[in-house]
Amino acid sequence: MAEPDFEAQLSRMFAEAPSFPDAPLFNAQMEAKLDRGWAIRRMFIAAAGTAAGLFAAFQILSSRFSSEISQLSRTSGHNLQGEIDAGVAKFNAVLTSSTSAEALWLAAGLAVVALAFAVTRAVEEL
Amino acid sequence: MGIERPPTGHDVELAALAAAGDRRAYGELVRRHGSAVRGLLRRMGADPTAADDLAQDAFMVGFEQVAEYRGEGTFGGWIKKIAARLYLRRVKREARLIFSDAIEPTEEVMARDVSRDAANRLDLDEALKTLSRGERLCVSLCYGADWSHGETAEALNIPIGTVKSHVKRGLDKLRAKLARPEEGARREAHG
Repeated sequence: MAEPDFEAQLSRMFAEAPSFPDAPLFNAQMEAKLDRGWAIRRMFIAAAGTAAGLFAAFQILSSRFSSEISQLSRTSGHNLQGEIDAGVAKFNAVLTSSTSAEALWLAAGLAVVALAFAVTRAVEEL
Repeated sequence: MGIERPPTGHDVELAALAAAGDRRAYGELVRRHGSAVRGLLRRMGADPTAADDLAQDAFMVGFEQVAEYRGEGTFGGWIKKIAARLYLRRVKREARLIFSDAIEPTEEVMARDVSRDAANRLDLDEALKTLSRGERLCVSLCYGADWSHGETAEALNIPIGTVKSHVKRGLDKLRAKLARPEEGARREAHG
């Protein structure tokens, strides 16, 4: 048999996929693997979103704390230590005052809801 | 709720759907090309369990990278290349890639090949087992995964001349093995 003929025949033979009796099992395993990979990816996205939400909530609260400090430094002529002490006291007041505590609890509540949603979806996927 | 039917369409369309996150479309691609990928890995020399594991890994990598497949060439060829690369990486890691001509199939393998098939007919899979490891890899990559000699040389980190000589010797052996049944039939007809 001439070389090009044989090479063409060989390519055809390689192109013919062998039939495997366990092909349905292989396909099912692959689908399960794809689903699992997808669920893990979604869980990571949800966890990252929750972490980002929490971080943002704390950033908002701390920026409010910073603005309180700068306002204090502008309006008072006391020394730096005194200002910081006053700022800390103010921050504690912010956390314990009813409106700020509401904001904090709201942020925490939203984070818990988001986390619960993420876990529920992940369980459904798995 | 109706029964969900598997997606239909050309491989390129299914790949585009898969790139958008449609796992069912990708599942259909797995159904279409799973056996070809498993077959190629076995023909390259992987044992059945390893071949199936690698085929699954290749399809998972394919799913991650399916957006990169834009229909140049067949999807089957694309996923086979991924599978072949994964197999070569594993073989290199296990330090089993030896291109010595001394590594030839044992008499035991040859005897098993003959006894397994009552009609003494050696198909491609059986014929490939009679090649040395290097010949088998080079022939499988060039004819099974459609790699060029250059691509094969680069992937195996050997000179292109070595690839060509492995392919030539491999083809000679395969031609002899695969031609045997025809010759036998011819002899019987004349006898």
